[in-house]
Amino acid sequence: MDNKKSTALMQGVFVFIALAVLTAVEYLVGVSTDLVGVLFALLLIKAALVVYFFMHISRLFTSEEGGH
Amino acid sequence: MSSEATATASYNYRLGTHRLGLWLFLASDLFLFGGLYVTRWYLLGGHRPELNQTLGLIVTSVLLVSSFFMNRAETSIAHGDRAGFLVSTAITLALGLAFLGGVVGVEWRTAPFGPGDGAQGSVFYMLTGMHAFHVFTGVLFLLIILRNGARGLYSAEKHWAVEACANYWHFVDVVWIFYYPALYLIGTVVK
Repeated sequence: MDNKKSTALMQGVFVFIALAVLTAVEYLVGVSTDLVGVLFALLLIKAALVVYFFMHISRLFTSEEGGH
Repeated sequence: MSSEATATASYNYRLGTHRLGLWLFLASDLFLFGGLYVTRWYLLGGHRPELNQTLGLIVTSVLLVSSFFMNRAETSIAHGDRAGFLVSTAITLALGLAFLGGVVGVEWRTAPFGPGDGAQGSVFYMLTGMHAFHVFTGVLFLLIILRNGARGLYSAEKHWAVEACANYWHFVDVVWIFYYPALYLIGTVVK
């Protein structure tokens, strides 16, 4: 496996772990408290992670394949 | 300029316009989901539908894992790994079907209210129904790239359809990131 691919796959793993932890925290906060502000903060962080790392929004105005 | 270089330049130009077009489409779709999201707060305010929170966490986790494998599929084909792409796409597809089964097959059947039972019925079935429809179309999109990928139509240099499918799938995940707490976690249960 080449280094670039390995790095890209590991980035996906790290983002997934971050999303999983945030979802678990979100669930615990949601079922045990009324901290709506915290829930909104968590969902915004999760959405930002997906849009930036999984949807590659930074590639929007580029015209070359790759950069994953 | 050689014909190969011309073809590559042409492909890259189209790739740029395709990307912009896809993001414009996603932005327009966001208005639809945004409208439904506002409707939820307008009709239910500080209350939420009477739903199984554990099931909500399970289906959310399934969609989250599917996004991980979608990313893995796109990364694999971007580096010329066709086998990795096919396996990850197939797993994403299976998880998408599992999500649909969890929401439409289980949650819809076990919810203690129907679509016509007041605001919570309207909000829950409309939001989850519209989202499930997008998951379903995403599954169809996945089937297409899986079939084309198996026929060797994608390469590290040319795989726009995979990128488009991945972005669409992740968009559907982002929508659920907003819908999940609004339906399952925030507020007190409607009496």
